[in-house]
Amino acid sequence: MIEMRYPTVSRRTAPLGWGSMMVVAGAIALSLAAGAAMLAAHGKAPLTGIWLLFYGGFGSGWALEDSLLKAIPIFLCSLGVGLAFRLQVWNIGAEGQFALGAVGAAWPALTFPQLPAILLIPAMMAAAMIAGGLWGMIPGLLKTRLQVNEIIITLMLNYIGILLLDYLCYGPWKDPVSFGFPMSPTFSPHAVVGTIGSSRIHWGLFFCIGFGVAMWIFLRFTRLGYELRASGENPLAAHYAGLPYRRLVVMVMVVGGGLAGCAGFLEASANINRLQPSIMVGYGYTAIIVAWLARLNPLQIAVAAYLLAGLRVGVENLQLDLQVPAAFGGIVEGLILLSVLAGGFFNHYRLRFRSRS
Amino acid sequence: MNSPPEAIIRLEGISKSFGSIFANRDITLDIRPGRIKALLGENGAGKSTLMSILSGRLRPDEGRIRIDGVPFAALSTRQSIDAGIGMVHQNFMLVEAMTVAENIYLGLRHRRVLSRAQMAERVRSLAEQYGLYVDPEARIDSLSMGERQRVEILKLLIRESRVLIFDEPTAVLTPQEIDQLVSAMRQMAAQGKAIVFISHKLGEVMTIADEIAILRKGAVVAEMPAAAVQSTAALARRMVGREVLLRVEKPAVEPKQVVLRIETLSDEVLDRISFSLRQGEILSLVGVAGNGQKRLVEIVCGLRAPGAGKVTLLGRDWGAFFAARRWEGALSYIPEDRQRLATCANLDLTDNFLLTTREGFCRGPWLDRTEAAAKAAELVRQFRVHPSDPDTRARQLSGGNLQKLVLAREFFRRPRLIVAEQPTQGLDIGATEEVWSILLKARERAGILLVTGDVQEAVTLSDRIAVIYGGRIVDLFSAEDESHLSRIGALMAGISG
Repeated sequence: MIEMRYPTVSRRTAPLGWGSMMVVAGAIALSLAAGAAMLAAHGKAPLTGIWLLFYGGFGSGWALEDSLLKAIPIFLCSLGVGLAFRLQVWNIGAEGQFALGAVGAAWPALTFPQLPAILLIPAMMAAAMIAGGLWGMIPGLLKTRLQVNEIIITLMLNYIGILLLDYLCYGPWKDPVSFGFPMSPTFSPHAVVGTIGSSRIHWGLFFCIGFGVAMWIFLRFTRLGYELRASGENPLAAHYAGLPYRRLVVMVMVVGGGLAGCAGFLEASANINRLQPSIMVGYGYTAIIVAWLARLNPLQIAVAAYLLAGLRVGVENLQLDLQVPAAFGGIVEGLILLSVLAGGFFNHYRLRFRSRS
Repeated sequence: MNSPPEAIIRLEGISKSFGSIFANRDITLDIRPGRIKALLGENGAGKSTLMSILSGRLRPDEGRIRIDGVPFAALSTRQSIDAGIGMVHQNFMLVEAMTVAENIYLGLRHRRVLSRAQMAERVRSLAEQYGLYVDPEARIDSLSMGERQRVEILKLLIRESRVLIFDEPTAVLTPQEIDQLVSAMRQMAAQGKAIVFISHKLGEVMTIADEIAILRKGAVVAEMPAAAVQSTAALARRMVGREVLLRVEKPAVEPKQVVLRIETLSDEVLDRISFSLRQGEILSLVGVAGNGQKRLVEIVCGLRAPGAGKVTLLGRDWGAFFAARRWEGALSYIPEDRQRLATCANLDLTDNFLLTTREGFCRGPWLDRTEAAAKAAELVRQFRVHPSDPDTRARQLSGGNLQKLVLAREFFRRPRLIVAEQPTQGLDIGATEEVWSILLKARERAGILLVTGDVQEAVTLSDRIAVIYGGRIVDLFSAEDESHLSRIGALMAGISG
């Protein structure tokens, strides 16, 4: 007699705890396996490909540094969108807010290049965060005043923000000696955030630590942080308890925009030293994946931001060595997001195989 | 009664524990066709756990479940459905944005495609057959709790379930609706269905059930035919293990200033509602669910703006009152829907306590969570909420315990106006009495608007009773006015004069 085993699903009575890390690890493994299959289908050696991916992202001191450098803007953007997601406000506009941040930072850098760094750097940062914050405020106000869907507005504002940046690089702010390339003049040394010691890592890393800790303190110890957590958990109860839901929505959009703007400032100042269209590489979208991977927790966002930054660096390596299209990285990112979201099922349910005699 | 029919379901020595707590301990029960079996027990006696085991949502640690004689160590949800077991949950499981008919057909496997009209027709005839009147085309979110329950029952009837389990089915119903439900239950039993109903209301258990099983602390402490029970008091004693008084003292309190005044309040639901409520009195608003109570409460509690007319709370106009929104010494609202409106399921007890009391624990922008946690722990102990660990998530609390948490929080605010909506729904006798005496005591410094479908509760607690029907207050009288009291049922049904 053949014994039949039936899969049965039951709701977990106790939280999964550390097991949820295993779910995330499993989801990432599954996505990489699917990535390997894609490589094989492309006629590339799959195992070599995955090894190159790892080696490229985390295999050398240079790679580790490069990953950390890319993790900085991803972390800042993700911290911002994660805050909005906590309130169940779907801000996918970090990309555009990042663009506005870069534009905002470039304005004082190009207008007052002679200012000493002690004044110019804070001015750039403030301008970047205000520009990003205002860009985030638009969908926030539209949502709370006119009940316009924030997903659509934030997405559309991304394109407008990027086009604004392009326009400035092609037009008013174009470097007269750039041989026609769309880019602003190089920032003066006063406008550049320096590196830490002899490494390539810039001081923006400390901004990340500062903002991350501030976010943790805000969510845990302030009244507004509590109101945000409660409203996000149950908007109906927020209404019942008279929580300032609309103000919170605008606030998370402004703060999220400000953080993405800060990321744009750091990229423009520390990494590229000018404003140019190639500053936009999709950190704002990766940030959304990072926020979900990290389940909106600031510390976990740091870890996930580093992992996905490593993936980006690894894919660059893969592109060079195996001539894999650049889209491969985006596909693997997407696979990771989908499998982590699907894996969320195991946080609430358990699957068992049981035999019926 | 001749020899009992063969059991559809036989539970043999079922045990289930959560951590160190036994929810069910060595339970043995027979569920027979054509019988109405009551499972009687206080909050946390293990009734819901037992039903979750039957519906395949929980796996017992020990024991066996026999279905038509075939033994199972545990049921899957699918096996439970295939065995014809169906549940009417206390918290309805309906898709609010869909219509009644759509909800009923949701998840049902059908050989051929049905049109909307056919679905509605089928639902309508089934509803008529059992006297469970509900409009098949109505959207769920427009229905009252009573109507939603009928949809839940129809969902099972259309699936031809053999065993129908009702979890506190009368908790949300008015007397007329209860009568309809009881006759529907009897009809179902007469057709050979097995009915199990979970309750802690002694009176209705006595009138409805054929057999009564009493659960205490997870174990079946007694099982008997309903005919063998001598008195309600005897039943109560066996259920709680102590004598309970079903009467509460109602000390006289001198009514003082007006805390709530409503003048000709009208909108698309309400029709020229006028009354006033004074500190020191309990005014009960009784009526069949869906007659405008919900709308009135939403307006009084600031969830919805008033239409025409005037609402004055604690001497201030509606707009001014809710713009100021003081957390203490003002308005407390104890809603019927504790799970979704009054609490956040995924937050812990301290965070849930802070939901309406947060302003009391603020130091500038900071929230003193340590102080709040200490206060919450103290109140949780005082109100005997189980589990009492403040780190527990709200969703881990049973309905009754969640209500105690809400009450603890709302009374901590020292309100001067209380709106209590079905405050004892789903609570056991002990807890009900506690809530009643808390409300009577709170009356000394507050005016209480008690919205209830339980006439007994209204009569027990109120100083005055208002009957609402079709969005209008059809009568308002003193709770001592016997001649009016006898006509409450008719008034609630819309029969006046």
